[in-house]
Amino acid sequence: MSVIVEITPDGPCVIGARLAPPERTPNAPANGGHGDARKKIVPVVKPASRPSAEEWEGGRYASLQEWLAGDGRGAVLLQPGDDARVLAGKLSNAALVAVDFHRIGDGRGYTHAFLLRNRLGYTGRLRALGAVTADQALALTRVGFDSLALRDDQSPERALAALQAFPVAYQGAAVAGDQAARDDANLSARTLLLERALVAISEQHERPALASSLAAEDMVMTDAIARLKLPIDIFTLDTGRLHSETLALVPEVRRRYGLDVRVFSPGARAVAAYVAAHGRDGFYEGVAQRKLCCAIRKVAPLGMALEGRDAWITGQRRDQAVSRAALAEREHDVERGIVKYNPLAEWTWSDVLAYAGRYDIPTNALYARGYVSIGCEPCTKAVRPGDDPRSGRWWWEAQANKECGLHAHAPEAA
Amino acid sequence: MYRYDAVDRLIVEERVAQYREQTRQYLAGAIDEDAFKPLRLQNGLYIQRHAPMLRVAIPYGVLLSTQLRKLAAIARAFDRGYAHFTTRQNVQFNWVKVEQVPDILAELAEVNMHAIQTSGSCVRNVTTDAFAGAAPDEIVDPRPYCELMRQWSTLHPEFAHLPRKFKVAFNGAETDRAATAVHDLAFDLYRDQRGEVRLIVKVGGGQGRTPRIASIIKRDLPWRELLTYSEAVLRAYNALGRRDNIYKARVKVQVESLGAEAFAALVDEEWSRLRDGPSTLTDDALARVSKHFVDPPLPEGPAPTGSLEMASGFRAWKARNAKAHRRPDYASVVISLKREGIAPGDATADELEFVGALADRFSFGEARVSHQQNLILPHVARRSLQELYDALGERGLARANIALASDIICCPGGDFCSLANAKSIPLAAAISARLAPIEETLGDISINVSGCINACAHHHVGHIGVLGVEKGGEDWFQVLLGGRSDNGARLGALMGKAVRQHAVPGIIDAMARRYLEMRRGGESFIACVERVGVDAFKALFAEQEQAA
Repeated sequence: MSVIVEITPDGPCVIGARLAPPERTPNAPANGGHGDARKKIVPVVKPASRPSAEEWEGGRYASLQEWLAGDGRGAVLLQPGDDARVLAGKLSNAALVAVDFHRIGDGRGYTHAFLLRNRLGYTGRLRALGAVTADQALALTRVGFDSLALRDDQSPERALAALQAFPVAYQGAAVAGDQAARDDANLSARTLLLERALVAISEQHERPALASSLAAEDMVMTDAIARLKLPIDIFTLDTGRLHSETLALVPEVRRRYGLDVRVFSPGARAVAAYVAAHGRDGFYEGVAQRKLCCAIRKVAPLGMALEGRDAWITGQRRDQAVSRAALAEREHDVERGIVKYNPLAEWTWSDVLAYAGRYDIPTNALYARGYVSIGCEPCTKAVRPGDDPRSGRWWWEAQANKECGLHAHAPEAA
Repeated sequence: MYRYDAVDRLIVEERVAQYREQTRQYLAGAIDEDAFKPLRLQNGLYIQRHAPMLRVAIPYGVLLSTQLRKLAAIARAFDRGYAHFTTRQNVQFNWVKVEQVPDILAELAEVNMHAIQTSGSCVRNVTTDAFAGAAPDEIVDPRPYCELMRQWSTLHPEFAHLPRKFKVAFNGAETDRAATAVHDLAFDLYRDQRGEVRLIVKVGGGQGRTPRIASIIKRDLPWRELLTYSEAVLRAYNALGRRDNIYKARVKVQVESLGAEAFAALVDEEWSRLRDGPSTLTDDALARVSKHFVDPPLPEGPAPTGSLEMASGFRAWKARNAKAHRRPDYASVVISLKREGIAPGDATADELEFVGALADRFSFGEARVSHQQNLILPHVARRSLQELYDALGERGLARANIALASDIICCPGGDFCSLANAKSIPLAAAISARLAPIEETLGDISINVSGCINACAHHHVGHIGVLGVEKGGEDWFQVLLGGRSDNGARLGALMGKAVRQHAVPGIIDAMARRYLEMRRGGESFIACVERVGVDAFKALFAEQEQAA
């Protein structure tokens, strides 16, 4: 009996250990794989004369002819040239249907499986045997096989690993169906790409941190970091002028995920000097005053927060603002000499909302009141649906300058 | 230009990671040669005569400037500084190393390119009219349908181990520029009386050892059933196609032996169970893909101002290489990759970057690849043509020979390919040189030179086809006449026995001169051949053969 990978409701598992682990000297490819040139094509392929297996766990396999003549119990083994459709109505008592693959390149067995599952409605165990390799495992399971009797030289570990590839597929609703189906597949893909990006960051850096503005984008990444238990710190900048709804997310993250969001605040002396010179709300007077306020309340605390770090992560997206249209996923922060990541660069606002819906993440209560891009309380207002998302920020200013200084240096793409 | 969403991106990234691991296992000896072969082939990797060759897909022939620059970078870093454009809207790197292929694929993934299913017994890269979206005779833009087909057929679990390769093409214009008649499965898109898009389905065309013009098996397929019908065709082929002899395994053999009607009945039986099913396309699906193929807003500009006395070089180039655009103030410009002393379809890394820069400057960042192995800038304002011509001229890329005798379609042949019987590239050069003095007079003619029976240069459907055969270790060639790949596609007729290489240019020259004697008015070469019949040339062939 060969090693069998079975797909069970609890996931894939391996049945039957190999009696003698294969003692194979690796047959390294000739000429490092650069060889076999001028190998002549042999046109004629001899069909196999006998089935690849005689027996299953419960006895002898019946051939298709034997099965059609028999009592319909036990297991039937289909050969590549058989027509699976003749089994219609004759499988209700079958313990197992097996399909013989004589060669890797003979793909008729895949169509057998499609017909058995989709045309005949067979829901019982469906086994592939013969020339079944780890690299075919995924396609075999996708057409409906749930039992793979691996060829003797195949490693079940590699087969299990192969089943993990391609978490999304093109066939079916993702291509042909309505927008909701593609959106759903797209969100799964986006989420996975985000998870991989965050894992890579946590592996490549000693002290990476997420600079969270507590916006929905940052909550998406907080959720992923928490779910994957990644060693990525999270901090936020409390400018002293944030909405209470925004700040309420700090304890919410602790309650929900058990994660501490470290809060950095501006220097009291600098704030006092600003208030003395320009008044507490002096930023309404001009761009210079506004940028100075941002510099004191946001940029300076960011500098403290990034002290000693080798990478930081932001929730910036390309479609947030014209100034971010060319945003790269990985940048070099020239000023600090560290790497800056924008893993959500490609995400749209609907992607963020879809993620928030699927994972039920906490978000700022202000979104429900028409706020989109949320900064400090005096400098942010709600916008009308369809307006530029950044139009509620520093709304008294011209469109082009709408950055606070955290991201304004346009770091060179790494 | 189709833009990848997260699904597309993840699938390509997964493919790179999967193949990286498979390559590692293969080089460590854990995957044997036989098991690795389908894996490498379906990732575009062939083992060629001198080195492995990587074939990269250019889906429906569309290339962005960023992608051209990436191809240039790959040609420099992993190859010998050049790339080769094929007759099926692919690009090949001829000198890659097996162990570096995963890195190349990762580089390609960065610009949304891949080599998935560019080889092997599966559904290959989908091709179409290189002028799609720009041609004045276009009825339906084929690109969204091609993209839906690309996605659906990519890593389809049931159809990755077909009896043989399976090539799909689409045509949506009055003139067929996609050679649909010689594809395994092809679609002509049209609008019915109500304006709904429908498809004429052709199956069983092909070249190679058993050339065959595709048979029409359905005339009024609603576009929503594109994938369900294709699934039915592939299932019938997968289940019943011959697997005992690879020379008889293409669907064309099945269609020929069953008869097109019986094959159609088989497909219809299967399709009746699939139509209106989960793979039936929705309006959403078409809209989602179509929105990527809205062509750039083409600003209106003043008419060309240049002096009326255009230099003759520019005038000739403009007449030959600037093709009509659906907008009268624009043109689609063909950049000839058929140059003296350079293999047809080859472009150096510098040239790829240069064309990328021209695409940015003149054509909204987009270029195309034609099955005649030339590059195209699809949307060039006519007032910029002189400027573009001058820029091309500085790099030796302004050869005004599109559709002329020197615009030869040629495969890599015995210089590179391990299957080839004969060297096609030197012969193409010799033919081109021989006809040079009369090529302007000759006008439109398609000469196709294949190094072997596999017909990569489409010799069966060239007006003049040349096929390399091996005799006693030497290169010999057969000559065919009267083939065409556009509307009214037809296979060329064999002129006689094979001749030695040195005789071929003279024979073709004599045939060309005979045409010049016989033509009536402005009759083209192929029209003349069709009028007088190929037999009128056979005697000539015999004479020439004797003389040689």
